[in-house]
Amino acid sequence: MSVRALWIISQEKGENVSIRFSRRFSTVEHRAKSLAGSSYVAVPDESTVLQLLLTELGLSDSHKSYVALRDDCLHRQRSPALELCVDGPGKGLLWPVLTISQGSLILACLPLVDAPAEPRPPLASLLSVSQGLTLLAGLQTFLLGSGSKPDNEGLASRLATLPSVLLQICPLGTPLDLPLLGAPATSAAPMPTGNQKQPAWKTGLHRGRAVVNVALIETVRSMQYGNRSRQDLWDVYGTVTCKCEVEGVLPNVTVTLTLPPNGSPLQDILVHPCVTSLDSSILTASSVDNYDGSAFSGPYKFPFSPPLEPFRLCSYTSQVPVPPILGSYQLKEEDNQLCFSVNLKLHESVKNSFEYCEARLPFFNRDQMGIVDLKVSSGQLDVSKEKNLLVWVLGQKFPKSREVTMEGRISFSGPTPGPTDPLCTDLTAYIKLYFKVPDMTLSGCCVDQHLVQVYSSAKPRIVTSRELQSKEYFIWNSTGTAPVSSGQMML
Amino acid sequence: MAANWAERISAFSRSPSRFLSGTTAEAFLAELLRELRDDRASYSVKVLLLSPLCEHPTLLCPSDSVGEETALELMSVFAQCPSKSVQFHCSLLLAITSVLICTSCVSNRSRASQDFVDQLLQLSQDTGDLQGDGALRSLRATACDCLRELEACCPGLLSQRLELLGALRLKETSRIHQAYAGLHTLVLRNAVYQLAQETGAGADHLKALLGGNTSVAWEAEQDSDLMNNKDSSILSSLILGPMGTIPTLQTGPDCKELRSVLSSLLEESYLLTPQCQAALLHRLIEVVAMVPGVPPAIFRAQLLRLLGTSEVGLLHSTLLLKCAFTDSLFSAEDEAFILKRLVVLSQHPLLTTPEKLFYTDCLLHFPENRPISCGDGDESLPVLLTPQLASALLPTVFNDSDTMLSRLNLLCLVYLEEEEEGEEEGKGLSYLYEHLTALLRIVENGGSREIVVTFFRAAFLFLFYFRHVERFSGGLTEKLCELYLRHTRLAPHLINLADQTQERLSESTWAVGFLRALQRVITEAPLAKLTIQDLSRHLKMLARVAEEGEIPQHSTISFLSSVITASSSSLCVSGDWRLGNSVLGVCRRLLVHPTLDSLLNALADILQHLAGRYGDTDIQDHARLYYTLLTTLSKEKLAGVLAQGASEGGRQVAKRTLSCIMSESEELTGVLTIHQTEKPIVKLVELDDSELQEEKQMDRESDSSTNDTCPDEASAAVRTYRAQFHHPDFPSEIVLRYRLTYTEDHDPRFDQLFSIRLHFNLTDDHYEELGDTSVPCLFRKRTPPVVKLRLKPWRPYPTVLHASAIFTTQDGLSWHTLLPDVRVLFQQTFTPLPAPTTWGTGGKLKVFDGLWDEICSESGEDGATSLFCCQLEEAALEALVEKHFLPYIISDPSREEEEHKVLLFLPPRSHMLLKIRREEDAVHFVIATDNWQLLPHANSFLVTVTSSQEDR
Repeated sequence: MSVRALWIISQEKGENVSIRFSRRFSTVEHRAKSLAGSSYVAVPDESTVLQLLLTELGLSDSHKSYVALRDDCLHRQRSPALELCVDGPGKGLLWPVLTISQGSLILACLPLVDAPAEPRPPLASLLSVSQGLTLLAGLQTFLLGSGSKPDNEGLASRLATLPSVLLQICPLGTPLDLPLLGAPATSAAPMPTGNQKQPAWKTGLHRGRAVVNVALIETVRSMQYGNRSRQDLWDVYGTVTCKCEVEGVLPNVTVTLTLPPNGSPLQDILVHPCVTSLDSSILTASSVDNYDGSAFSGPYKFPFSPPLEPFRLCSYTSQVPVPPILGSYQLKEEDNQLCFSVNLKLHESVKNSFEYCEARLPFFNRDQMGIVDLKVSSGQLDVSKEKNLLVWVLGQKFPKSREVTMEGRISFSGPTPGPTDPLCTDLTAYIKLYFKVPDMTLSGCCVDQHLVQVYSSAKPRIVTSRELQSKEYFIWNSTGTAPVSSGQMML
Repeated sequence: MAANWAERISAFSRSPSRFLSGTTAEAFLAELLRELRDDRASYSVKVLLLSPLCEHPTLLCPSDSVGEETALELMSVFAQCPSKSVQFHCSLLLAITSVLICTSCVSNRSRASQDFVDQLLQLSQDTGDLQGDGALRSLRATACDCLRELEACCPGLLSQRLELLGALRLKETSRIHQAYAGLHTLVLRNAVYQLAQETGAGADHLKALLGGNTSVAWEAEQDSDLMNNKDSSILSSLILGPMGTIPTLQTGPDCKELRSVLSSLLEESYLLTPQCQAALLHRLIEVVAMVPGVPPAIFRAQLLRLLGTSEVGLLHSTLLLKCAFTDSLFSAEDEAFILKRLVVLSQHPLLTTPEKLFYTDCLLHFPENRPISCGDGDESLPVLLTPQLASALLPTVFNDSDTMLSRLNLLCLVYLEEEEEGEEEGKGLSYLYEHLTALLRIVENGGSREIVVTFFRAAFLFLFYFRHVERFSGGLTEKLCELYLRHTRLAPHLINLADQTQERLSESTWAVGFLRALQRVITEAPLAKLTIQDLSRHLKMLARVAEEGEIPQHSTISFLSSVITASSSSLCVSGDWRLGNSVLGVCRRLLVHPTLDSLLNALADILQHLAGRYGDTDIQDHARLYYTLLTTLSKEKLAGVLAQGASEGGRQVAKRTLSCIMSESEELTGVLTIHQTEKPIVKLVELDDSELQEEKQMDRESDSSTNDTCPDEASAAVRTYRAQFHHPDFPSEIVLRYRLTYTEDHDPRFDQLFSIRLHFNLTDDHYEELGDTSVPCLFRKRTPPVVKLRLKPWRPYPTVLHASAIFTTQDGLSWHTLLPDVRVLFQQTFTPLPAPTTWGTGGKLKVFDGLWDEICSESGEDGATSLFCCQLEEAALEALVEKHFLPYIISDPSREEEEHKVLLFLPPRSHMLLKIRREEDAVHFVIATDNWQLLPHANSFLVTVTSSQEDR
């Protein structure tokens, strides 16, 4: 359950590599030595680890097209646990090295193997592996923030605080907690004396007006081919995020999700560890099962005791019968010109009120766009500065017909070649849709304000919201070869 | 100064060994400790100073005693510094813990470690912070963490404190109850483990343990256990699944106390962070697994919460629960649910890639209630993972490389099983193949290096499982060939794929078929379009193809011949050395190809053409060499010489010599050059006495003539004798006999040596240069051969010879080795008087007398006499004479003379005459010699032989 060492590395495509932070846990190393006996492999110096890691990750010697050590076809890393082959004195295999990377940052750690080394134990039997993954993910979020672009100064200052952060969350190599994001809530007050134990994940107590904020975001992904031989695919998943400012050491809050009368059940429900109990029926529906009409379809109750900071209460997936926007994209090539015929149709069940909606049509392996002769039935058309991307801004509303079209032709006669892409060759091309619809979900799932119960003295203010957003929403040109996607429909 | 420290500490942690090479561990440690005591240094610097002690305590404290002292020092720093900086205090505790654990002070229960444990226990009980002093509270938490680590590294250390720790845990209501819970659980687990190891331990012991009043007898036993516990099994996880065995504690159903402790821990587990919850569950699973009296159902209340969790660690502990208790806690429905859950999690959009990969891995090591295969640690599919279920994990081109490969591997296993179960060739397999071709298309369209590598890994995986499905493996061959022609830069990848499939899938012929197809497309492609780059890659490829004996090479030959002879080809004119080497590389493999006979003429033409026309002299030379080898050596010998080199070098050439930059010529160089042994392999050993006698006996056979034709007068005899000196055949050499044997070094490569040629170098100018000596062979298992060294002295002095040998080993390689030096001793230059063969002993005696008189009277320039005395018993003297002078005695032994006359001839012309006789007080060796420079050697010789005789 412990890690022997931790490294934080920054790099840019294998260049400018440096170890920004490293920490050895000597007492865990001491245990590793007694556990492994004669097969013990010591952790080598930073620079050696760095070089071995880059080779394993395929980042070393980036200018060489083939390096036997790096590119051998037999060599399949059993990710997420890499194996480093340490040469020289004390040689052997260092395993399992866990890594996660985002942008230019690579985080790695070496969990303790508390099982006989031979035969190699499966990852599933080593709790230190999942603990290590959690630690790395927590550190990554702490260093880079969630999703936002890493800024070098912020990164450096957060790296500088790591020693004291680790003193709190992993003092002797055993992860106890994840680093707190940002400063603890100002209203947090120290613990009053009492018999109720304070949760270790709660940094203090809230004082003041009770406010509960529950936000439901549904995300839809789609792959549409407009082709009989390939079935279109789409999926929907939702997350419920809460921010609860409620007094008390261990206040009780219940959030209930409800579905419309004939809505399909929420599947694959995952809950935050602060949820105190679950009804087994909530967990039964699964996206990998055949849909069983008799399945439980709510209401879904989640009783929990909230931490101070915002958290993801639960997530689910849902199978909806139709995609929110059905598209068709047809290209024809005529003497270095592409003829366009695009049609996008908003499904009637979707609220025609977007926060934004836009379609992007990138072009690869062609020269820059020359003459653009296109007509759209609605919205506005922009050509990017680089002349390789068409942006069709549809704005807040589809027209009454709920259908928009784009017709016309583009000649690719620009002076310089555009970007290349190995996937989008010839007529393989796509439209990617970006949209967000406030106050609606595809599954029909909603958080009823009146069904948010807070068991506390003061009457809380309760705010709920919901929205639908797109992610990886592709419409492929039906006249080109679309890359094979999931083959579920074939089986 | 502070900045300086930051730099130095970071230099230390970057590479401790390099840092310490500039100073000593002792000095650095002293510096650190001094600075820690310095009041002027800020706390933030002091915290920094502790990091080397935390991270590398054994480097700074190389011995237990240094560790002990350092810990004491740090403890006194702790005691003396005001409690202003909590962080410094906490770091100090961590540093002391690290030092004590890593230097084995804790396991030896040193004074300091006991004091430290007491201090930590005190700190953990010091609840003066209840008024809300957060600082003191984190110190308490750190103290608990340190205690937990001490217990983790020295299991059983705190077993006696179990009750105290339990009470502290219950009492604590602030956030840090988590630290107490972690400590309490671990100590409980270790204590139960140790009890389970005791024979006869039962419910009462457990109760006593939990109650804190451990029986004295057990305590003593446990102490000794702790001391001797070199077995690390207590450190290992006890969750082994149905196949493992763990120690159990028979308590009967009544173990209320333990149950209540466990329930209370489980109830409060919700209040811990997910990480600590997972660790706590892990420990509690172990405890319940060891105590059959507690039913696993005690975990049931937590199950739903754990099964629905989004936390990877908590779900993992659920899997561990499943692994430990299988169907005693999980029904068949539960199992199906967990499996589906894992499939869902393996592709869940909200999880990170490493988490998803971890879950995919868990699918292949799923803890089934009733596993069919034995848990040998290898990947196996759970029975419930149907193709239908697994289809959720079909790989797509949008996956990242790791995900794609791990899904492909999983799905290959699924469809392989489906196929083995006799179901028709499923659509699943077609899908995987289609996926592979989609990847190939991306590679063809210029995919990045990562995609290229991923594609070849995917191709290997596919072949690994489905090479027998002709339809797909054949199709893949075709597609790969097309890919190669479009992108010859992929040659190393394709060769690698061929190599690995051949090596790993030895029963399959796919690789050979693939190489054959490559040969076809390369040799059939129109030459006109060939670029130099393509050609170089084609040649690499053809060289690999030519390694396959089964593949006919005619098309390769005609390709080569058209490439180098075609008028359009500028290859020969350009004289590109690399390309030339590549051509030679192909030729070299063809030289050892089994079908060489049918290629002979064409190959000879090519080589001759290269030798005559190629625009680079080195290539010409090599081609000529090959040509000569081809035309003069028999096929077997050629194969012997070349194949040898190839098998030695192999495809992955490890050893590089400076003389060959190109790997192509390297293999050959191995055969054609002489290798140097690292250590002496053989040595020359003098024959022992008995062997020597035998040898000399044979020489002396002819010596027994009786016709004494010697002149009567002594001086005349000397004259006749001296007259021989001018005769050209006069033997002026000494013959030394040695056995050539192995040194102690036992290298099996050298078990059989052939054509050994020994070479000797003089170290002075007393002897004439030696010629080489040949020995036909030397086998480790046979009697070592005798080697005769014929030395021609200029001056018969002792000397040392440097010796070396060149030989051939069985594998055909030539070696050069140095032998230990050969020492030639003074007595080895002695030879019997080379009197004419027709003389008898009387004649020799006359020469003796004549010479003696000459030396004594004449007192010529070089002549000299001397006397050497020593104490020897009668018998000892006789033995000495017998041993050292017998061949040289010329006085008649049958007549009991009082003195022995010894006449030594030392080639080329020196003599040494001895009269050995007993006087009253001592044995006298009267020496006369015609070369006074021999006297010091004679003296030291006599000293040696007489003293060794005295010792007897």
